[in-house]
Amino acid sequence: MPCIVNCPWGPDHRQAVMKFADILASLIHDMKNSLGVVINTLEEFTRDSGDAPIDRKKIVALQQEAKRLNNHLIELLTLYKIENERISAHVEEWNVGEFLEELVIENRASAEAKQVQLEWRSDPGLYGYFDESLIRGVINNLLGNGLRYTSSKLLVSGVQEKGYLVLRVEDDGEGYPEEMLNTQAGQWQSDELVSEHTHLGLYFAAMVANMHRNKDRYGRISLSNCHTLSGGCFSLWLP
Amino acid sequence: MEKRAPLNFRTNELEKKDFLIIDDFGDMRSMIKSMLQAIGITKLDAAANGMDAVSAMEAKRYDIVLCDYNLGPGKNGQQVLEEARHRNLIGLGSIFVMITAENTLDMVMGAVEYEPDSYLTKPFTKDLLRARLDKLVEKKKNLKDVEQAVDRNDFEVAVILLDKKMAGKPKNLRELIKLKAELCFLAGDYQQAATILEGIIAEREMTWALLGLGKVYYARGDYQKARTLFEKLLLENERFTAAYDWLARTLQMLDQPEDAQEVLHRAVTLSPNAILRQQALGELALKNQDEETASKALAQAVKLGRHSVYKHPSVNASLAKIKARAGASREGLKILKNMMGEFSGSHEASLYASMAECVIHSDAGEADAAEASLQRSRELYEQIGLEAGPNAALEMVRVCDKLGDSDTAKSLLNTVVKNNHSEDRLLKDVGSLMSELGMESDPESYIEEIHKEVVNINNHGVELAKSGNLKQALDHFEEATQGMPANKVVNLNAARVLIMNMKESGTDRGQLGKVKQYLDKVRKVDDKDPGLRRVHAMYRQLSLGS
Repeated sequence: MPCIVNCPWGPDHRQAVMKFADILASLIHDMKNSLGVVINTLEEFTRDSGDAPIDRKKIVALQQEAKRLNNHLIELLTLYKIENERISAHVEEWNVGEFLEELVIENRASAEAKQVQLEWRSDPGLYGYFDESLIRGVINNLLGNGLRYTSSKLLVSGVQEKGYLVLRVEDDGEGYPEEMLNTQAGQWQSDELVSEHTHLGLYFAAMVANMHRNKDRYGRISLSNCHTLSGGCFSLWLP
Repeated sequence: MEKRAPLNFRTNELEKKDFLIIDDFGDMRSMIKSMLQAIGITKLDAAANGMDAVSAMEAKRYDIVLCDYNLGPGKNGQQVLEEARHRNLIGLGSIFVMITAENTLDMVMGAVEYEPDSYLTKPFTKDLLRARLDKLVEKKKNLKDVEQAVDRNDFEVAVILLDKKMAGKPKNLRELIKLKAELCFLAGDYQQAATILEGIIAEREMTWALLGLGKVYYARGDYQKARTLFEKLLLENERFTAAYDWLARTLQMLDQPEDAQEVLHRAVTLSPNAILRQQALGELALKNQDEETASKALAQAVKLGRHSVYKHPSVNASLAKIKARAGASREGLKILKNMMGEFSGSHEASLYASMAECVIHSDAGEADAAEASLQRSRELYEQIGLEAGPNAALEMVRVCDKLGDSDTAKSLLNTVVKNNHSEDRLLKDVGSLMSELGMESDPESYIEEIHKEVVNINNHGVELAKSGNLKQALDHFEEATQGMPANKVVNLNAARVLIMNMKESGTDRGQLGKVKQYLDKVRKVDDKDPGLRRVHAMYRQLSLGS
């Protein structure tokens, strides 16, 4: 059943029409995949049984899939609330360094297990204005994806640029494919994003970014390659 | 730009702290427990529900409380927090972390009086828990002396302490600015509070700053400006329920009780579990004679009250009367009986119960029973004295008037106005009660008359003191306090003149004792009165010097 997602936060208060059911379907698809991995791995454990030494790699895989599931559920709940209860961002002031440090701590175990060097970088005196729980959800998602696509490094950083707080997640993997870079940031909320579930995280990020407003300026996202690391770079611009 | 290692354990402070874990799931409790033990914490207790948690906090002062929001039947996490902070079971220097299952937005937006120091979303890792706790401990440590001053209600000293810290441009400067604005507001220094908030808003329209500025306008009596601001806030954040509460209060002051009710109704629809808001809606609907809304809201408030520190017998009594008026007098009496069980031992509850009984019996045509209840109410009212508060007095007025004892009703009303001549909101209630009961042809000028009289008494005394006739001023205020024993301004003036007198002719134990009596009376009426703290500071200085 097609639903309408109201996006009263857009610069022109446009109503982005999209299929909520499609988002739901692709999220469920993704979560089922994760659950599949969890079930299979657990089955292997019970089959190996008793004396066999615990395979750390499998534990790590379990942990990662569980985190993915959790991130998707948070995404789903947030989308549901935006759709049904018309929530607005609750903007408060946060120390960016402390915020990023917590995110790195949350994801450190997964990074170590995959031998990825995960770091944060920000001026300790930098403060930002955003809805902490919404942005936390977005960055956690990006870090989860980043751990999949990077080769050895993952960096999350915060900096003040052109009057915006820019939060970036960068890796040294292969980077975003050309066709994704060609799409301008402003369009990152149309239904084309939903058609492929790999882009769902971006749709979610764009939506959350757009919920942030300062006077007449709105948040947005942008994608690029080779910012300070050699791979992809996702930027969240918050006014 | 600085680059730092991802982990940065700043302190070992945590290991010395007393912890309380509150969660209804045994597995969750033991998981958090083992996380804390792995961090090196040894002093930790656990509670499985809100009631046990409150008992634990009554028995011991905890430094850090980790509380799940969902605690099954009984109190929820927010109610535990409210009770702990309201009853001062945990100090301002302690840390309360609310653990939640998902997005916290509704809780943040729905909180009325108290917010936790931090929200932590499940699931979380040991390392994240430690990082968060380290950060919170660091912040509280920095504020210890300020919080001690606030605990004493000594907001002026707290502001001076804050200024000293802010001069050093610390890392948490912005938090200190926010705290300073709050404390200036509490201290009654609205001018400075407004200056700080306007400065913040010029930079960025933070919701808390806009709400704070609206509260300043309200406190100054600038209701039109307050209204515009609260409406603007709600236009942009329709779930920001605290703004509804303040807008409703403002509309009442602007004589728009129906609009105020509509506003509260919207807030209650968004977040139905805030007891104070349900109480306010119930009382407002009663005034608006919308019995259906009143009945619903009061029933909800009574239900929420079972687990809340904010329960009040007047709410149960109002519900009982409404039920009786709708034809269910037996149900009404039963509500009163249950209430006596819930508030057992409270004289105030007994008073409200017998006043409501009186009304119910009278409506049912049981004149003797009604008269007996009235007699009992009078006795209880005498017994409780000043502590009964003006709202109980107004209810007495209603009851006496109903049973034809208009002399008592009039004299009570007169006392309420005299004792509260500077309380605009209460005087509004007095005015509408008078019109409702048909007392006096022009309630407004009746109140204005008494108001003027009290102002004149105060001015005359102050004049006497200023012109050096301290002895005469003393006698004048002494007499005035007998006529209006619960009037804050009169009592404070009496204390001030005594202090002036002692400064001139030396301190005197008898007079110091009298000052203390005056201050205690004010404290009973309103322990947060800004004037009280100023005079109390003078008193303390004097008694230390003697």
